[in-house]
Amino acid sequence: MNAKMKETILNPILKGNPITVLVLGICSSLAVTVELKGALVMALSVIVVCGMSSLICSLLRKTIPNRVRIIIQLVVVAMMVILVDQLLKSFEGTYPLDKQLSVYIGLIITNCIVMGRIEAFALGNKPIPSLLDGIANGVGYGLILIIVAFFRELFGSGTLFGIPVLSALGYTNNGLMILPPMALILIGCIIWVQRSIQKDLQEN
Amino acid sequence: MNTNSNVYTVIYTTVVCVLVAAILALVSSSLKPKQDANEKAETISQILTAAQFGEKSEWQAKGNAAVLDFYKQNVAQAILIDGSGKKVGELSTADATVYGKSELKAQNYNVKDGKGMKLPVYIFKNGVSVVPVYGAGLWGPVWGYIALGSDLKTISGAYFDHESETPGLGGKIKDDPAFRAQFKGKSIDFNDKAAFSIVKGGAPAGKANAIDAISGATMTSRGLDEAINVWLGAYKAYLTKNPEE
Amino acid sequence: MEYISLFVKSIFVDNMIFAYFLGMCSYLAVSKNVKTANGLGIAVIAMLIITLPLNYLLNKFVLSPGALSWLGDKFAGVDLSFLSFILFIAVIAAFTQVVEMVVEKFLPALYSSLGIYLPLIAVNCAILGGSLFMQQREFGNIGEAAVYALGSGIGWWLAIVALAAIREKLSYSNVPAGLKGIGITFITVGLMGIAFMAFMGISL
Repeated sequence: MNAKMKETILNPILKGNPITVLVLGICSSLAVTVELKGALVMALSVIVVCGMSSLICSLLRKTIPNRVRIIIQLVVVAMMVILVDQLLKSFEGTYPLDKQLSVYIGLIITNCIVMGRIEAFALGNKPIPSLLDGIANGVGYGLILIIVAFFRELFGSGTLFGIPVLSALGYTNNGLMILPPMALILIGCIIWVQRSIQKDLQEN
Repeated sequence: MNTNSNVYTVIYTTVVCVLVAAILALVSSSLKPKQDANEKAETISQILTAAQFGEKSEWQAKGNAAVLDFYKQNVAQAILIDGSGKKVGELSTADATVYGKSELKAQNYNVKDGKGMKLPVYIFKNGVSVVPVYGAGLWGPVWGYIALGSDLKTISGAYFDHESETPGLGGKIKDDPAFRAQFKGKSIDFNDKAAFSIVKGGAPAGKANAIDAISGATMTSRGLDEAINVWLGAYKAYLTKNPEE
Repeated sequence: MEYISLFVKSIFVDNMIFAYFLGMCSYLAVSKNVKTANGLGIAVIAMLIITLPLNYLLNKFVLSPGALSWLGDKFAGVDLSFLSFILFIAVIAAFTQVVEMVVEKFLPALYSSLGIYLPLIAVNCAILGGSLFMQQREFGNIGEAAVYALGSGIGWWLAIVALAAIREKLSYSNVPAGLKGIGITFITVGLMGIAFMAFMGISL
């Protein structure tokens, strides 16, 4: 794998992380991080949608008329999201999750990460790198989601993936963690940690 | 080919839209049976939870097949009754046919009009009967199931669901087992002003047909109260006619 | 009376930003000063109040199960709800184009200060989210949908102007390097979210 491919894959996970650096895709990341299971499903859905949409738009990139560029992108993304949503509704294990995540799955369409990566990368690059870029950004997004969900579920419900951890030790749940504002504060802290380590990301 | 010409733009957009619509329609129709199966199992597990055959989370873990099997083995009959308490139809227990949310929504219009009702009663072999209720919460519909003992008056359990009530407040009708547990042992009293009440500020101690509302969720509690009373009213003829089912 | 309670609830109790965290990306990006924040907020109100009632009509007469029965009994069993995402977003994208043209012609200063964020309203989660919530909540008539749209828009506007005001003042404070800029903004929004939760218990 050459250096460029490597950078395409690794960049979105740290230095170019869609949530903490590019500040995209915030909306859904707050609502679905109450528990790890939901965060994982959302992360996987975004990885699939972002990867596939980038791939399809990159394949079509030389044929898309400029004036309807945004509309065609939206249609491709919307189609992928609906397919993911329909699939989630069909499997027993994921059906109850789809009920919980319903509005937020639909909102993947407007998840700035997906559209943002198509505009910034897929429309100007070959299909395979675009697929990798889409997947990598999904992974970068998913990583933050899982970190936030880890803390929120652990301190908010005392469990991890539904398995009692802290609650088994007699811990009283911190109700504040379950509420959405906590997700924002947690992301703020993650940004703080990341920028203290990677000083070149700091603003002034 | 000039990708920016008007003709090309229009044709391209049309082709893409038609293609996408076709793909989606194909996927949606082929997946529908599976989705309907999930919805059916969800409804049945709610009925079973109300009837105290186990907790919802347990049924979810056991899977669709187990839910359907248990229902088929333990249900005696599933009848449809009208406003006068007369049996007007039956739902197949062999197929585990049940009225899901959309059927309840349709019947809600009939209940509100007071005519044309076909309301289900799920009668189990152990004498428990489960009746659904449906109504408007604060932000969207609320519905659920109330399980009655063989005297058709004493409540053995209940389960409620909602679409868009506020999580942590109105959402408690579904998520808080303590709210549902209040229903156990209470009873319906058609001789009282309201057959059953969810009382803001707490039900009077010892009152058999009242429970406490959820604090901070007055509107949802009120909506559920109304749903229960309106639907129990529709079932009244049936429930008071056959006291020894 | 019901309209007023729905209106007030949509602004405070079900605030698009603080209760559902929709529209975060542009919210965080355009809240650096009050003037631009004000402009974007008003654009969001306009978009919501145009698209939500339209999508309500679309939902009622085309998308919901059995909605097509006005075409004839043959169509009563048709359920087009899986097309909801695409149709809602199409309406929103179309009107974003219209709003963009109107702003460019009549308010050129606002147009240049909003820059890319005006077309990005098309993918503002708050606009699509508003339509999706409208679909979920089954409003009784178009009047309720319109009131909900106006209330939600005003709630979003209120949130962004408030944040912009705070950020303008924050630029004079001594914020740790890692938190400067986006980090402290996240924490601020989280705290504002907690403050808005005070409205949750109000019954109207």
